[in-house]
Amino acid sequence: MDGLGEATLRALYLLIEGDGALWNIIGVSFSVSGGAILISAPVAMVLAFLLAYVSFPGRRPLISTLQSLQSIPTVVVGLLVYMLLSRRGLFGDLHLLFTQTAMVIGQIVIAFLFVVPMAHGVLAAADRRAWETARTLGAAPWRAMLTVMTELRFGLLAVAIAAFARIITEVGTSIMVGGNIESFTRNIPTAIALETNKGEFAQGIALGLVLLVLALLLNVLLGQLQGKGEMR
Amino acid sequence: MNGMDVDQPILRLRDIRKTLPSGRRLLEIDELSIHAGRCLLLTGANGIGKTTLLKILSGLEPPDHALVDCDGTHLLWSVARRRFRREVIYLHQEAYLFDRSVTDNVTYGLRGLGLSRAQVAERVQRSLEWAGLSHLAARNARELSGGEQQRVALTRALVLTPQVLLLDEPFSGLDEESRSRTGFLIQRLKSERVGMVVTSHELLPMSGIADEHLELHAGRLVPPTRSVQRASTGHRPREVMAPGEVAYFDTKGGR
Ligand SMILES: Nc1ncnc2c1ncn2[C@@H]1O[C@H](COP(=O)(O)OP(=O)(O)O)[C@@H](O)[C@H]1O
Ligand SMILES: [Mg+2]
Repeated sequence: MDGLGEATLRALYLLIEGDGALWNIIGVSFSVSGGAILISAPVAMVLAFLLAYVSFPGRRPLISTLQSLQSIPTVVVGLLVYMLLSRRGLFGDLHLLFTQTAMVIGQIVIAFLFVVPMAHGVLAAADRRAWETARTLGAAPWRAMLTVMTELRFGLLAVAIAAFARIITEVGTSIMVGGNIESFTRNIPTAIALETNKGEFAQGIALGLVLLVLALLLNVLLGQLQGKGEMR
Repeated sequence: MNGMDVDQPILRLRDIRKTLPSGRRLLEIDELSIHAGRCLLLTGANGIGKTTLLKILSGLEPPDHALVDCDGTHLLWSVARRRFRREVIYLHQEAYLFDRSVTDNVTYGLRGLGLSRAQVAERVQRSLEWAGLSHLAARNARELSGGEQQRVALTRALVLTPQVLLLDEPFSGLDEESRSRTGFLIQRLKSERVGMVVTSHELLPMSGIADEHLELHAGRLVPPTRSVQRASTGHRPREVMAPGEVAYFDTKGGR
């Protein structure tokens, strides 16, 4: 197919030449997803730690519920956030719908629901002696928690990277609460999904390439982290 | 009893009760005392609750109930525990070392005690020398041999100068030489007035070291069926070995 080859060439040209619109879209993706993961991952990991190390009534059912929400469809999260942020919603007065903040909120929810059960798995399977050793050497609970997490840094970082990969590629929430507004809330997935049918193949392919390369890099990183995690 | 033995115990607990989630009554101990410079040997069948008892004493595991004698009154263990937490250190059967350097491991418990950086560094260095670990200071603790790891774990505890050490099966998995080294070390700690509870399913390495021997049986502490040769009572070893003489505690180099 002549059209595809030509479009791919044009895509590479767009990337190299530093096309403003294209790099703006890439920038939106990274700032939204980067912000979301930085906010949600630490909180999610602390919750995962509490679920793994503190027993309280209802802990088991709570863990099961969170496990089943791990891969919640992103459009469902989009719907929920939309309803909360829409003019008649609970937080409608904040006028956040169709802003980057709304996208960040949506992705925080997705990342949070992904990280909690995954990090819980890592923490629950870990050696209890790490916690006991920290405590018997006089560490306060919060410090002992940080120590345990540091011991598991490779596994937990792998969880965070997998979560980042999930939110930077998701379309559903970004479209619903971001609205795909050019040079504002248009990120890589929404641009590919919505602009391609306008015949903008070159841009779609260029963005697709960025995502592919990113996915590849994250996978290599994950593989290395897993290797390190197993070694120790 | 002669004059030297009437001193107050560091820790005296009463009515220690622990029931497992399964409903099995694991511990029903009426009284347990730990004295400075004395070593209590605790034996008993596998799964009888020795480790659980040590973890309760160290505050790592909550008992269902326990009282502690404190300045003439009985306090709930859950209330009084904080006071003893820093003074009682539990050592796992197999040491857990943090995935960091030997120095960082030994430094761990010294953080947050209000010591200056220089003071911390000095204490760590002195302890590493004492244990013959200086040449391993920069190594990752996880890369060391089993015997070396055990020494790092002990040093990491001793640098905090606790009043009580709880040693869980310190002889298991050790060869003859390391056993006698560990035995020597316990003697040395006794002479430094550290109170100890040692669990062991072997009696021999503890002969001449234990001051008291109790067996955990059906949740209670009872006189042992087989007994160990006690340490001669009424006096404590007076000779304190000079740091230079601790080479017995040092398997490789460092002399
Ligand atoms: N966290 C736990 N939950 C349930 N049962 C436990 C737990 N820890 C220990 N046990 C049980 O308590 C009993 C005593 O264990 P332990 O104190 O390790 O015995 P010992 O050190 O004398 O071999 C065992 O039967 C063990 O299965
Ligand atoms: Mg045990």
